[in-house]
Amino acid sequence: MTDIMTALALTVLGPLSVGLLLGVDRKLTARMQNRVGPPILQPFYDLIKLFGKERRADNQAQISYAAACLLLQMVAFIIFATGGDLLVAFFVSGAGNLALALGAFSSRSAFGQIGGQRELLQVLAYEPVLFLVIFMLGWWNGSFLSDSYSDNLLGVMILVLVAMMPVVLIVMQKSPFDIATAHQEIVSGVYVEYSGTYLGILELAHWFELAFIFAVMTLFYNDDDVVLSIAIKVAIVLAFVFFAILIDNSSARLTRWDMIKLTLLIGIGLVSVNMAAIWLHTEGVF
Amino acid sequence: MRRDAATRSPWILHFDTGSCNGCDLEVWALLTPRYDVERFGMVNKANPKHADILLITGPVTRKAEERLVNLYNQTPEPKLVIACGDCASNGVPFFDCYNVCGGVDKVIPVDMYVPGCSCRPEAIMDAVVKGIELWKRKAQEERS
Repeated sequence: MTDIMTALALTVLGPLSVGLLLGVDRKLTARMQNRVGPPILQPFYDLIKLFGKERRADNQAQISYAAACLLLQMVAFIIFATGGDLLVAFFVSGAGNLALALGAFSSRSAFGQIGGQRELLQVLAYEPVLFLVIFMLGWWNGSFLSDSYSDNLLGVMILVLVAMMPVVLIVMQKSPFDIATAHQEIVSGVYVEYSGTYLGILELAHWFELAFIFAVMTLFYNDDDVVLSIAIKVAIVLAFVFFAILIDNSSARLTRWDMIKLTLLIGIGLVSVNMAAIWLHTEGVF
Repeated sequence: MRRDAATRSPWILHFDTGSCNGCDLEVWALLTPRYDVERFGMVNKANPKHADILLITGPVTRKAEERLVNLYNQTPEPKLVIACGDCASNGVPFFDCYNVCGGVDKVIPVDMYVPGCSCRPEAIMDAVVKGIELWKRKAQEERS
């Protein structure tokens, strides 16, 4: 019963804290640009407003894909929160991204089509890296169940954690990798044909997706002291978000091919180096 | 709560219907650190389907007329239309030109008029903040 309550609390708290984090993100971005910026709760105001707007869609399929996207991202995070298999959560979250791309393809808008194709390219860029990170976690731990992690992995797998940086940049829709939702270039791409409530549904799905990505990163540190454990987990996520904002404010958008090359090179490279280091260590080389 | 949240998050669409770009510059000035409208939750979305407030500049040329109606129709309710500048308000000095409609309100319903040639960013901000009250009423009427 307590487990179910904890899982339920996590399922609610996950997206809520992501909303708060996005508020801090917008405030920090504004401060970096010498502006005052919106209130920290701005993402919640935006979301509530969207749910209050007129419901209007291009076609029925678009609504189904938006609902599928939210449901799949929600299920992915719930699987994680209930101590389920990380790999299953990863594939369900990937299916959610596919639903987002299909939703964009379902309308005849040129920007939507470009956005959908770019969304698929983003998936192609970051999912192999995320898969490798999860694979490394499971390989070291001996299990992919999210509640079976009890070691401090920061020492042995710090490069694997750093490999998550391009993944976080892509999922947070930050420069130089905000390819699918390029705001002034293709007018937010995949989201272009959605409005009101349905846009709100997709925004919420995005929060759940981010919650899952951040949740994977929290597995790198575990300690018997619960307070310390939570503090370090939060610090890891905050550090990644801070660096994402820093990179976002100091870089221009790359082309989609550069994104694929860079993400795969950095991601697979760092994970491989880390894997080689662990292997050499177990072989007694150092 | 829904209504209060809505008024804290007005997303903007700016459309130039044939303006000399004087008012457009002032609209864009709103996004700069000096005026920073994002502190009121305003974001320039450049997409009618995401927008709540339409900031329209220019006297509406015949070519732009259909596009303006299209953008207006694509914006989901509740929405607000603000005519920015003298041209958008009543078409001056082009009001009797053969290729001009003569003001935004000749084509779509307008909620607020911002005077000035060009209109000052402070005046646009004032209109949006005042317009939010109107928007609140519109949302209330729609619910009832």
